[in-house]
Parts: sequence; C-alpha cells; structure tokens
Amino acid sequence: MNAYRLGDVTVGMKHAFDATFTAEDAAAFARISGDVNPLHVDETYARAAGFASPVLFGMLTSSLYSQLVGVYLPGKYVLLQGIDIDFNSPCHAGDPLHVAGEVVFVSEALKRVEIKASIRRADRKLVSKATIRVGFHVD
Amino acid sequence: MASSTKNGDEILAELQEIFRDILDQPDLILTRASNASNVEDWDSLAHINLLTTIEKQFKIKFALNEIQELKDVGEMIDLIQRKLASQ
Repeated sequence: MNAYRLGDVTVGMKHAFDATFTAEDAAAFARISGDVNPLHVDETYARAAGFASPVLFGMLTSSLYSQLVGVYLPGKYVLLQGIDIDFNSPCHAGDPLHVAGEVVFVSEALKRVEIKASIRRADRKLVSKATIRVGFHVD
Repeated sequence: MASSTKNGDEILAELQEIFRDILDQPDLILTRASNASNVEDWDSLAHINLLTTIEKQFKIKFALNEIQELKDVGEMIDLIQRKLASQ
C-alpha cells in the first residue's frame, strides 16, 4: 500500500495495475448488492442477448477505482469523496483488466485530489472511465 | 497574465450556476447573504466540491486561511475578485 501525504502528491502522478474477476466474484456481488439482473447472472439469458457470457457488473469492475485511490494513488491517507463514471464497453469474468490513473488536480487548501482513471480490456477497449475525488483525512 | 475585470454581479451569476449544479438545486437563488446555514445541503463535503469547482472555473487557487475566513457568498465574491485582480 502506498501512503502518499498531500504534500507528496503532484499533478501528473500515475499508477496502473491489472486485475481479473471470476464468475464467483460476480455471484458474490449479485448476492451483496441484490442486483440479480439476468444479464449479469444468467448464462443462457446473456447468450440470448448477444453476449458471449454474463456481463460483469459495472459497479463491480468500478470497485477497482476504489482500490486505485485507496491503496495506490494516493493510498492510505485518503477517503473517497466522489466519483463520476462512464461505462463504455462490457467485459466478462476472466477478462484481464488494466486499471490506470493519473492525478489531474490538487488543492492543498481543501485537502482534495482528483484522479482521472480508466479500465481497459486486454484488447485496449475502454470498459469505463472515471473522475475520482478523494480527500485527505490526515495532513 | 492580464487581470480579469469581472464585477460582483457577474461573479454571483457564475457562482449561482455552480451552486445549482453542485447542490442539485436548479432553482436556487444565490445572494451575497447566502451561507451554509441558509442554503440547504451546503455541508462540509459540498463546500469542498463548491470551492474546487470555483478554483477550476475561475482559474484561481485558494489558500487555507482565505477559505477559513469565508462567512458567506458575499465574502466569497470579494475573495474571487481580489484573486482575479491580482493575476
């Protein structure tokens, strides 16, 4: 885990990592969230709708944005305060996902940092993009 | 950099649009007397969102002591005017 302090964070800082979700992860998310939409949990339904397999929940893949800011950029000393996400392309269990983020705004007075981030599939197709707002809870 | 010459009414109009968007109150009427006590949902997180949006829109940077002294929208307008004039 990174533990950047506010004074360490500058516009242009970047971090990236890879992740993959399993069908079990999707099943767990369906149970936790209560979202049992068949496009996400029913193989037959998803195929009939034109997808190779059930579509991963956008809110599940977007949980990687939480990891990005809470663990890496800036890491330990921030709390997620807001996030705007666009979902661009579907992805599926087993797809390797590449998460990348870059600091685009820092306000020392407001203890606020903003990160532009994206999640892409292995074929570089954009799964989602986000603007993430975090606040430092320590100086 | 050339200094900006926005007057108080112009800044107030821009602030009203920012407040309406951030606070999700499309009919909000902002005045110089508006403050966190008389504007619904102007809480601490909204305050940060408001000030960061103002920094970006007006291309200014606030110092900690400046934002700690703000009592209402009127003082906010005065501060923005001072910041713009000093650029």
